Amino acid sequence: MPSAPAVRLLATECLTALGDARATHAALRRGEVALQPRPVLGADGGEAVPLALAPGRGYDETAPPNWLAPLQGMSSALAGGGWGTARRPVFVTSSNFGVGSLYAYRRHGDAAHLAFGTPHACVEWLAGAMGWGPNVTTVSHACVSAHLGLLLASRTLAAGLAEQALVFSFDFISPFVAGGFYALKILNAGFPAPYADRPTGSIGLGDGAAYAILTRERGDFALEGQSLYNEMHHFTANRADGTGFAACLAPVQAAVAGRRVWLKGHGTGTLEAGRLECGALAAAFPGAPLVGWKGSLGHTLGSCGLVELALACESIRTGWVPGTVGTAGPGFLPNLANGEFAARDTDGVVCASNAFGGAHAAFFLAHA
Amino acid sequence: MLERYVQALSAHDVGLEEPAATRDRLKDRFPRGATRRMTQLGLLVGTALEDLGPGTDDAVVYASAYAETRALEGYLDSFPAASPTLFQTSIHPSAVQQALIGRQLPVREFFPLTGRLHLPAHALQAALLSDASRVLVCGGEERGTWLLERNAASDRTFAFALALVPTAAGALARVRLEPVDAAVPAVALTLPMFFDALRTRQALDLVAAPGLRLEVEWR
Repeated sequence: MPSAPAVRLLATECLTALGDARATHAALRRGEVALQPRPVLGADGGEAVPLALAPGRGYDETAPPNWLAPLQGMSSALAGGGWGTARRPVFVTSSNFGVGSLYAYRRHGDAAHLAFGTPHACVEWLAGAMGWGPNVTTVSHACVSAHLGLLLASRTLAAGLAEQALVFSFDFISPFVAGGFYALKILNAGFPAPYADRPTGSIGLGDGAAYAILTRERGDFALEGQSLYNEMHHFTANRADGTGFAACLAPVQAAVAGRRVWLKGHGTGTLEAGRLECGALAAAFPGAPLVGWKGSLGHTLGSCGLVELALACESIRTGWVPGTVGTAGPGFLPNLANGEFAARDTDGVVCASNAFGGAHAAFFLAHA
Repeated sequence: MLERYVQALSAHDVGLEEPAATRDRLKDRFPRGATRRMTQLGLLVGTALEDLGPGTDDAVVYASAYAETRALEGYLDSFPAASPTLFQTSIHPSAVQQALIGRQLPVREFFPLTGRLHLPAHALQAALLSDASRVLVCGGEERGTWLLERNAASDRTFAFALALVPTAAGALARVRLEPVDAAVPAVALTLPMFFDALRTRQALDLVAAPGLRLEVEWR
């Protein structure tokens, strides 16, 4: 089994349509839904689909991108940290980067958008705006990107190649990505109800950004049992027997080692993946309550693993875990928690994410 | 210091070859019917990986600055009726997924990286930090059309894969990463530069990322 060194989290923060980690957590506890119906192609129209935008941000692309200001606001505590230098590397993770700028250029012809369209152009511009040095590793593996950044950063620390590592993720939605999920018919007029046993699946998409500072020895939380697995079975479907989910969870189960946990699932609102994930989590961690927050925040894509890590930390810190927002009726299995519950009766949380290609990622977050 | 040995190498430099010609030339390397929807980069990365005989215990690291440029161009041109096929094909690590899904070959660890000036160094770092017994490092680019005219795509098409193992026996080369004084400036080593060094068996010894010296010594 590949190694996944345990590391500490010195700090985490996130940005969602509901605000920073503290505000988002509080809103989730109240059951607020950030998703709103918006035309899938923005100013170009189309059917109204559930989208959740960062506070004050317009959906249609601008040059420079209008998401820089909220991203800088989220990152104010990072200023002057020496990030992007040899001993303080940055691991940027995303699935979108600035690709919305390419859409804006192709639709409307303004060449100013091109400066942000490729991943490296976008990240180099972002690094300059953030005051980072050039030691930036960029990971792009769709919706498990953030997990990969955490694991690479953990290994870099464990090898003694860094004293601290910053994992930084951002995904701001655009007609490029919404149009794609709409074409796949999983983004539609319906609102997501994660893990609900219903006739039609629906996802929502949301803006999301987050960071985590990883160290070897400092911080209140520890990441253990980081695990990956890639089914390579189908681009948009999982093996029907659920073995891909189980294979990813096995090392996490070993890391948990019988401790009491709650589960933060991927839970986008699709049916088959939700059913398989629910079953695999219940089998690996019998009796553990399962929550998913994408019914409120939407799917924050490559950043979801880090956004939801920050919210899981906030849940443990406050002692309250928000329930599965957007799902009122019965779930696929009785382990689904619709309402909030106390975190104090548990030792930590298993966080899981999935992506195209049958990619799976998970870890165990506990008090250090 | 991190160290591994190059057990096998596959490099495909196809220059200006058009995707249809690549598809026709390589179609027999893939399961029947599988190449119809594969991208040029998927065909080339798939062939390079196939040359190394990938296995389910291998870890895979993938590096590409632009990835599936033609699919991305086609997807952008498909609006307002966005193409679902081109959407999923245009997503960054698609080239490797096309190859491994075609073979139904699961792998535990798959690290797709992107970037520019230090991409090869960071890809090799990801590989050398893995404790899989064999790590396949692959990468490549495909030449764009209208995105290339706007300097937002690769101007050449190529792909490579190398197998990295812990043992020196029969190795083609040794790859070493060593921390160095942070004050030593890093120089650019882009993916095309790294590919050309692999293709021509050129030795490398440079600070290829901040604080990280890369040495490739051919046997």
